[in-house]
Amino acid sequence: MTRFTSPITRRTFLKHSALVAGALNLAPACVLSQNAQPGANGRFVVAHIGVGGMGMTHLTNMLRFQKEGKVRIAAVCDADDNRLQAAVENAKTGGASVIPYRDYRYVLERKDIDAVLIATPDHWHAVQTVHACETGKHVYVEKPASVTVRDGQAMVSAARAHKVAVQVGAQARTAKGAWYTCRAIRNGIVGKVKRVSCWHYANPVDDKPVLDSPPPEGLDWDLWLGPLPWRPHNQRYQPANFRWLMESGGGQIRDRGAHQFSTILWCMNADHQTSFTIESKGRAPTKGLWDCPIDMQVVYQFKNPDWTLEWGQPGGKVGQTEFGNVFWGDNGHLILEWEGGYRPANPEAVNFKLPPGGQEVYRTDEYEDFNMNHKADWFKSIREGHLRPAVDIEIGHRTATLCNLGNLSYLLGRKLVWDGTKQKVVGDDEANRLLSRPQRYPYVL
Amino acid sequence: MYFSNDPSIQGLIERIQNPDEAVSGAAWQSAGPYGAAAVQPLAALMADADFELARKGKRALYLVVRHAGHPAATKERRAVERELIAVLGSSPTQVRREVVWMLSEIGSARAVGPMAALLTDQALREDARCALTRHPAPGAVKALKSALTTAPEDFKPALAESLRVRGVELEGYPSRKLVPTAQTTVAPG
Repeated sequence: MTRFTSPITRRTFLKHSALVAGALNLAPACVLSQNAQPGANGRFVVAHIGVGGMGMTHLTNMLRFQKEGKVRIAAVCDADDNRLQAAVENAKTGGASVIPYRDYRYVLERKDIDAVLIATPDHWHAVQTVHACETGKHVYVEKPASVTVRDGQAMVSAARAHKVAVQVGAQARTAKGAWYTCRAIRNGIVGKVKRVSCWHYANPVDDKPVLDSPPPEGLDWDLWLGPLPWRPHNQRYQPANFRWLMESGGGQIRDRGAHQFSTILWCMNADHQTSFTIESKGRAPTKGLWDCPIDMQVVYQFKNPDWTLEWGQPGGKVGQTEFGNVFWGDNGHLILEWEGGYRPANPEAVNFKLPPGGQEVYRTDEYEDFNMNHKADWFKSIREGHLRPAVDIEIGHRTATLCNLGNLSYLLGRKLVWDGTKQKVVGDDEANRLLSRPQRYPYVL
Repeated sequence: MYFSNDPSIQGLIERIQNPDEAVSGAAWQSAGPYGAAAVQPLAALMADADFELARKGKRALYLVVRHAGHPAATKERRAVERELIAVLGSSPTQVRREVVWMLSEIGSARAVGPMAALLTDQALREDARCALTRHPAPGAVKALKSALTTAPEDFKPALAESLRVRGVELEGYPSRKLVPTAQTTVAPG
């Protein structure tokens, strides 16, 4: 365990950090949950909604928490019976006997379930999170938090109104790599940072488009679509190709960008800088179902303090790996490969010593595995009653807003001026209409 | 064959139909500035039996809409809106489904009536409802209220949802959003 130069706990951090009310207009952090608290034996009862790729990782994590006596996994849910079957079997192998559901609303009806982990395609995140909050359940929701700005706002409102903890799965903020980078950047390792650039490989192209066809056996297409407008099934949606649709995954900027931007905002101590301009350019695919731009360049300009964030597909690769970030300061630059989770931090950042009077950075540090650690941070926010995990939904919403507005500027082919206080685009009616997408009934917010 | 009296539009359509992907791709991606004159030919392309060609027509038309949606493009926007409204009255279902959403992006108050006319079309009513929910004109709320009085019972909860989103207080028609319906055949572990 790293020694801090001064002891810091989560409570101390919340008391003194910029996250308290006033700086960011958040509700006071001392609100006690009036909803699910761990039972008398200290265990949360949890359920999984969406048990595909990342959903299985969450299930594996919860099985470990269950072995440690911290949770009981009560249920798994998926619109695809094949994935559901696999999840039931995995849970059984891991020592958990679970009830399977196709329709997540059966999960939400259960009063015995305290918390849910949502790992469905991105177009479902807001609706399921809001519904879970409304039924009093704490939520761990995959990133990006939302696919439209108004979705994100609804998630924040629901979490606050129903006094539950919503953690967004941008787990780098509780990971060592990002933490080392954050404390180094905040304490001047490269001096004042005026520019952060991201490099990332391109979005794939659907070069084998096919006609619409019936959904595969076991997939409930209506439930998969959920809030999206109705259309017939097409094989090119599966599996996990929602990632390459603007209306759902939103491409690399909303996938990895949600991780990278979250880490960058943390390092730059810029969660409060909610107003900025956005200018995007991209190269669209010429054919196929997937409509995210192959290459993309997005520039965000922040004021007070002034700095620039650049998203590049491919961008200017400075590091060694497929994607990463560079903090360009007055005295040099610091590279962060990936997002600060799966890859270690730059050795310079790891070896960085805080200067006298330096600012320590808090993170939950209960597990070496950062996926486990991020969930531990979430549980901690519930047990301690403050309900503000490391990537609280407000932070997740602000990060997703960067991603969503980057895509919006690309779709509209013009620069946008974002007023974060009023949560609207300045002087652009069409852009403001596109901040929301009404949902297909009954899968509504 | 999609015919336009305007040789530049006819040229655009022919290039989009070109079997060389480099030519076709460049063509549809350049459609934005062609404006109102391109709306009906592109809408016709959206109904093509070749699904990739139909997709290109749709994406090209969205570029026209979004070019016209620029804050400074008032005249262009009105002209494109007029053409979209014309398409809404007389095109295949899959075309009207997209056009009603396009009008939710740039439509003025004059688009509300034609959009609302789709609320009685079983295949299009849900898209029309969503599009009107997003349309900021007060007329959209009036249209939704009016539809609530005459719609089949199965559509009324959805219309009520739209009205509540627009700030209208309503008695009855409780939301069904939390009512589970789909069962699995997978057995517990």
